[in-house]
Amino acid sequence: MTAQTKIPNAEAAERLYQRYDAIDGNDLRSAISAGLAWLRTHQQVVNALNVFPVPDGDTGTNMLLTMQAAWKEIETQASPNVGVVAHAVAQGALMGARGNSGVILSQLWRGVARVLDGAEAMDAELLVKSLDEARRTAYKGVVRPVEGTILTVSKDIALAAESAYEQGVRNPLDLLRLVVEAAAESVERTPDLLPVLKDAGVVDSGGKGLSYILEGMLRSAYRLPLDEPIHAVQQLSSLSLDGAAESVEPGQDWEVVVDFRPGQPLNLETFYGDLEAMGTSIQVGEGDGMYRMHIHVPDETQYRPIEYIQGLGTVTKVAIENLMDQLEAQAGAAGKELHLENVKPGEIAAVVVAPGTGIARVFASLGAAAIVEGGQTMNPSTQEILSAFEDLPTDKIVILPNNKNIQLAATQAKELTVKQVEVVPTVAVPQGVAALLAFDRTGDLPEVAAAMTSAIEDVSYGELTQATRSVEIDGVTVKEGQVIGLLNGKLVVAGDELEASLTDLLEKGGVDRAEVLTLYVGQGLPMAEANAMADHIRERWPHLETEVHDGGQPHYHFILSLE
Amino acid sequence: MTTGKTTRHGRITISPNAIATIASQVTSQSYGVVGMASKNLMTGLAHALAKDPRHGVEVRTLGGHILIDLYVVVEYGTRISTVAASVANSVRYQVERALGMPVAAVNIHVQDLRVSDRD
Repeated sequence: MTAQTKIPNAEAAERLYQRYDAIDGNDLRSAISAGLAWLRTHQQVVNALNVFPVPDGDTGTNMLLTMQAAWKEIETQASPNVGVVAHAVAQGALMGARGNSGVILSQLWRGVARVLDGAEAMDAELLVKSLDEARRTAYKGVVRPVEGTILTVSKDIALAAESAYEQGVRNPLDLLRLVVEAAAESVERTPDLLPVLKDAGVVDSGGKGLSYILEGMLRSAYRLPLDEPIHAVQQLSSLSLDGAAESVEPGQDWEVVVDFRPGQPLNLETFYGDLEAMGTSIQVGEGDGMYRMHIHVPDETQYRPIEYIQGLGTVTKVAIENLMDQLEAQAGAAGKELHLENVKPGEIAAVVVAPGTGIARVFASLGAAAIVEGGQTMNPSTQEILSAFEDLPTDKIVILPNNKNIQLAATQAKELTVKQVEVVPTVAVPQGVAALLAFDRTGDLPEVAAAMTSAIEDVSYGELTQATRSVEIDGVTVKEGQVIGLLNGKLVVAGDELEASLTDLLEKGGVDRAEVLTLYVGQGLPMAEANAMADHIRERWPHLETEVHDGGQPHYHFILSLE
Repeated sequence: MTTGKTTRHGRITISPNAIATIASQVTSQSYGVVGMASKNLMTGLAHALAKDPRHGVEVRTLGGHILIDLYVVVEYGTRISTVAASVANSVRYQVERALGMPVAAVNIHVQDLRVSDRD
């Protein structure tokens, strides 16, 4: 995958994962169009790679024509039904298949269409099955499959999807992201499998073409442009002088933006190459012969890009900003830095999954040794959980997944390490807090885990969020967009107004008998509003001790616990 | 009926069987072709019994020109014309590369389709 195909930030990721929870016919249609567009952008790149089986330099064109024929089938007739669209795509690809790679591509689509037959939408499970059937169908079409080709790439992505699914990845977009990564890696390995590629110093063209199609789909979901090659120039107006940084990589302390007029036509490839040696997050804009360059560079090298560009032409404007300073300011606004418990060898380390910065801070204050970011629609992988504790100086680990969907990944992490691991099956943040209150890092691991598990039962937890569709569950009728309240994971309240729903939820949760209410305020809700609601609660139930924390979790206006 | 050329050391001849073996190898790796068939039933049986690697391949030389005929079974659900064109293209390229001599024609005879999966 090219480094540029990334979600800009975690918040956007969370939103996108929710958006692409299930892939319907319209989504697939957009994906096909995007895959086609990105392949077209790189058609010549793919053509140039073509040395096998016959070096006639037409793989890119052939795959493009095949995809174009597939697109023609669905261009004018949209369907919300993913099975119908997939079938039309497969049909179009079959009729328009050009060249070896085109025939294989059409077989891949045929496999996908077979799995999606009759399906309205595709979830993660269907995506995994589609890729597997695509691979199976493709391999059937040849007596002696040659490895190191598009076939190998189709196999590697099917396996990657399957193993990600097994590790608990349940979001189709998240799966696609992993599939795109796997495709890129697989393409890089093709010369090791097929000597003729290695001799020519290229990767397999068909595999590369497939990888572009998949990457295009991912880029369109990420709302990234598809019509410009990676080393591209954007409109000058779209590149602002400051604040272009969405994220900062460690070690990249300075943001440098330079406006200049090159002395002679700019060789973009060399330009990018030289800049890549200096830093990251490179962007270049152009308008009327003026160029703007944006880059992040490490400390003490912030003048290097300026000096370099001075050698290329006339510099008209320079802006340098200290990113670390900006970042600290941001962190300062959100609160203090996270201070995790330092575990010593022999002690137990608590590894906690937290959906928001505020909640992470609460867990840290309660003695968590490592925090893994993750929640409802952003499940951390087994690998992420593993790497959170593999480097800790102790071999006794207790994991709090705090979400049903993350328990599997946590359990798998246990199987993949030599360390002793216990997973306390918490399904919500308040359960995690209750469990962590019962945590004793100097105790005996199984006993501590058992004590933490039984502590979960003492707490009632509630969640308030927005309904993403109209539905009736457990006798509660919900309209899309309404506020819904869940008590211990069960839907009990639906209403149009947040505060009323909160009150309802508290009553359903037995607020009269409870002593302590803890509210974790979500990302989108201003603290002032939340505090006002808390004051009303204090007036109404004076016996109740009400605490408010800035949880920072996405999706949930409130996560709360009643004890 | 061999193909050959004369060098300063002497004459090199290549038998149709040698050419057929190359063509057969390439065909088996060619996408969309899932088997070889025979021109007629009798020789088909003979080849199947003998497990001849050149089953379904016929090589002739006509006035110094190499002609290759391939009798193939194609996977149902692929675009047959494209598969056939790809096989012809690959076989011609690989045979010419191995022999260093031009191939006059590669004829593809699609004798049957194999249905692995119904859609």
